Amino acid sequence: MSELKSLGKPTRRVDALEKVLGTGRYTHDLKIPGMLVAKVLRSPVPHAEIVKLDVTPALKVPGVVAAITSEDFVDHGNWGFPVKDDYMLAYKKVRYVGDPIAAVAAETEEAAEAGLQAIVLELKELPAVFDVHEALKPDAPILHEELAKAQAEETTSGELEDAEFIEVHGKGNLSETLIVRQGDPLSKLSECDVVLDAAYSVAHQEHAYLETEAALAVPTADGGVTVFVGDQNPFITLSNLVMTLGMPGKVRVVQSPHTGGAFGGKSDMVYETAAQAAMLAIKSGRPVKLVTSREESMIASYKRDAMEMRYRLGATKDGRLRAAKIECWADSGAYASMTPFTSWRATIHAMGPYHYEDCHVDMMCVYTNNGYSGAFRGFGNTEVTAASEQAIDELAEMCGMDPMDFRLKNCVELGDTLPFGQKLEYSVGLKQCLERVRKISDWDRKRAEYSRQPAHQEIRRGIGVASFFHGLSLGAEGLDFAEHTIRLGEGNKFEILTGLSDFGQGSRTVFSLIASEVLGFPVERFQWLPCDTDVVQECGPTVASRSTILGGNATRLAAMRLLTQLYDAAAMMMGCMVPEVRQEGEVFYGPAGQRVTLDELIAYARANHIPLSAKARWEMPRIHWSFAKGRGVPYVAYHFGAQVAEVEVDRRTGVTKVLNIYAVHDVGKVVFPQGIRGQIIGGISQGLGYALMERVEFEKGYIQNPNFDTYLIPTAADMPVVTVEFVESELPFGPFGAKNVAEPSMVPTAPAILNAIYHATGRRIRHLPANLERVLLGYDLKDTVTTTVCQVGVCERAKCEL
Amino acid sequence: MSIKHFDYVRASSCAEAVALLSDPTHISRPLAGGTDLMVLRHKGEVQWDRLVDISQVPEMRTIVQQGEAIVVGAAVTHAEIVEHPLIQRYLPLLADACHSIGSPQIRNRGTIGGNVANAAACADTLPALVCLDAVARIVTKDGEMAVPVKDVVVGPNRTSLPAASVIRDFVIPIPPAQARMAFFKIGRRQVQSISRLSLACLGWLDADGRVAEVRIVPGACTPQTQRFDQAEAVMLGQVPTEELVRKAGQAGAVQMIAITGRRWSTPYKELALPALIERALRKVFGLPEVR
Repeated sequence: MSELKSLGKPTRRVDALEKVLGTGRYTHDLKIPGMLVAKVLRSPVPHAEIVKLDVTPALKVPGVVAAITSEDFVDHGNWGFPVKDDYMLAYKKVRYVGDPIAAVAAETEEAAEAGLQAIVLELKELPAVFDVHEALKPDAPILHEELAKAQAEETTSGELEDAEFIEVHGKGNLSETLIVRQGDPLSKLSECDVVLDAAYSVAHQEHAYLETEAALAVPTADGGVTVFVGDQNPFITLSNLVMTLGMPGKVRVVQSPHTGGAFGGKSDMVYETAAQAAMLAIKSGRPVKLVTSREESMIASYKRDAMEMRYRLGATKDGRLRAAKIECWADSGAYASMTPFTSWRATIHAMGPYHYEDCHVDMMCVYTNNGYSGAFRGFGNTEVTAASEQAIDELAEMCGMDPMDFRLKNCVELGDTLPFGQKLEYSVGLKQCLERVRKISDWDRKRAEYSRQPAHQEIRRGIGVASFFHGLSLGAEGLDFAEHTIRLGEGNKFEILTGLSDFGQGSRTVFSLIASEVLGFPVERFQWLPCDTDVVQECGPTVASRSTILGGNATRLAAMRLLTQLYDAAAMMMGCMVPEVRQEGEVFYGPAGQRVTLDELIAYARANHIPLSAKARWEMPRIHWSFAKGRGVPYVAYHFGAQVAEVEVDRRTGVTKVLNIYAVHDVGKVVFPQGIRGQIIGGISQGLGYALMERVEFEKGYIQNPNFDTYLIPTAADMPVVTVEFVESELPFGPFGAKNVAEPSMVPTAPAILNAIYHATGRRIRHLPANLERVLLGYDLKDTVTTTVCQVGVCERAKCEL
Repeated sequence: MSIKHFDYVRASSCAEAVALLSDPTHISRPLAGGTDLMVLRHKGEVQWDRLVDISQVPEMRTIVQQGEAIVVGAAVTHAEIVEHPLIQRYLPLLADACHSIGSPQIRNRGTIGGNVANAAACADTLPALVCLDAVARIVTKDGEMAVPVKDVVVGPNRTSLPAASVIRDFVIPIPPAQARMAFFKIGRRQVQSISRLSLACLGWLDADGRVAEVRIVPGACTPQTQRFDQAEAVMLGQVPTEELVRKAGQAGAVQMIAITGRRWSTPYKELALPALIERALRKVFGLPEVR
């Protein structure tokens, strides 16, 4: 490959100015004359039967124009993927505090509020369940009776090999069981010199995006509706709207120019918000805007799932991993949402990027009345890696080995086979990441120095490492493609049309750089159209850190096609043959000294009706995973990486300060240097919060910390010095060799910090977050005065903790 | 959260503020920085139909030296206290406490009077003010009164302030030149966090190197912010030693439990409080810092 001109060179983010000048428009900013304000009535209890629901009194409130319930939707607004267990507004039952029940649209916020108050709602409370193990007991209250019945009729019929396992745990609230199978780890464990058996857990985490869920729905002349949203998946929003509103061809979804963050969270609740606003717009014939408050967003939207894990790992006494038996229980909450998929990714990654002779993973997704769980950066991998990388550290210590040496000894390399049968054929830079992070963190010196701290020392330092892998894109979850168009637009700029959203991660800049590299034009030559389902092609969801690979390849191919069109036009204009055309940046030359600028060429093309527009679709290599056998190829390739955390712990107060994080990630190829650094540092801040302070506190189904005064995320002052380096082990089919980075950046942070805390204190904290109490005492304390009976939106514990 | 409409009036003197707050035709609340009031309003936990803005009352806005005391107006913001030369010179403990509060935005709006009057158990100025023997001068409709800050706040979110009164200022005696002070705070993150536990400490030695005065005041620890006299007694009249500060720390924990009983947070605080007391005493009495 010749030397790259744009790619990997420092570039200004293409939408930076709009953001820093405050001119960029978000869904919250959108206003239309005659617009109504919508509000949603939400369940004040964790589990209940809807005995009576009447919205007609709301319509008598002055200013209220429309009110809706599940009765207004097709099939009661039933939706959900992969399990169709949810409703746009609750039908028959509510299953968590915050479950939407009805919605009103009114002239003013006050009228909408009064409208909600006027709705007649009678609930018959049902017993609720808040613990995954309780939920699996035979006498547990069942959240989804109909699904449970259907499951029971399905029987195991040899489909799943682990029938015995399921029988033991019952089926009622078990939404999904996922497995990985290789050999017989339990018997292998009995042969191992060193065996670890430990339980870990991680807590619910809130996405904390700056912009809460919002939608503006505008009725159209043909009786349809156009919905403006900020989401991750405009075409999924569209499909869900078409399915539940029942007006194919008349629904259009337009993304707002900017979306204030997502991190995996701008999906389900945005679909619901969009559907509620759309139905209210249809009923009222007026534009309707629905914006959730912060508390409403935090109470009603899905979280990263809490997960309990039991790890049994075995090794030889000289530190060679042999067997892993891993069991996990994911708290799916009230609905399946993405939990079957996050849990599947969790099973694939639960053993870490190491060799094992035998390995079983068993994952149970369990319905409870704790809110509900869904996608969040790392998508299951963040959860299991928090446990597995601690377990690996514990095992290394049992073998008397340095944790870095232990990982280097066991980590996978190119050509190795993962413990579910996949041979690693491309781009495996894990060993290089570990070796590099060892060097830049000055690991060996610090590890030795901190190990020598005298026992009485109160302020102690520690250093810890975590390494990991993260499968590219959707993997065997489903068809994985993107389709982009690059076409001539206004001002002689080329428009890149994509169905992938840029909600802050920088994909617009990545695509511009790739187009710039292929076409040889500066980045400023490209511009953006809003992601509009009437204009762009479907690209699949903007999830799974897939934009760079999928959208990047679609951009690259479309740009190559556009380039041939430009060469054709240039040859015509200069009266020569196409192979005789030579290009330098934005100037084309002919064999006889002809010289044409791009602007001249565009004018020529316009005058002669030569279309300059190219479309290209790119699809991931197709792969197969056997869910029944727990073997196969889950992802075509993986991101690899390692992070080292250096902490200072006050052993007498539990105060932990992260001093340094060294991050080395194998990203295939750096496309957008500032963007990729931003991703890594942002991911580390979320990982640091996950490690030390973040936990959505459910008390009998009620979230106790629904705003940022009580739900703490790291501030700038909590951030360590972050040193970022990259290993570029080219992915043959990545755009210019590039892989993924968004989610992987946060996956190893929490376990690296926890391993460093252990190194500093000798106290292993197996349950996240490692708050003051756990670091000081080794166990958590529970405030006994938490509120359990409170209204949605105002439920909060006392601000001070005495 | 319903949005309630309400009146707003700005007072130009304490007397006017008291008159406005006493007006029986309104349910009035005083507004200073609003950093607590706006949160309460958002939660719908308090009702009023008129806010009386006391943030611009001239006599509440100054920091001045009056004889052997510094007088800090109640409407002075935390940021102003942190940066004021008189505070930095004579009352660094108060500057440290104010600097530990919230974020720059909150420190730019929040006031010391509001911090006391709101009377949160975790208010960061409370242990500092109690430690400094601060006296609040309160204007009521019946005239003025002076009450030590330790008696103004009688429990979490409970004060002895008469209805329709305002705190005009705080009179804080300047500690002797040989006095040393310390303020420590533990939160759940590095900044912008609510105190899990804090400690204000002040003391000085006599000519023989014995403890002449020591004040130990934990914050976010007891319902009423107070000096921990049993911990102080361990130090008083003694030459400070490693062993003594450890004993004082233990005495502090014992006293805390005697006051609060065993609460959910006791297992944490009975370990963390002695650490803070020891460290504060080390700093105040010049013992080597721990590592």
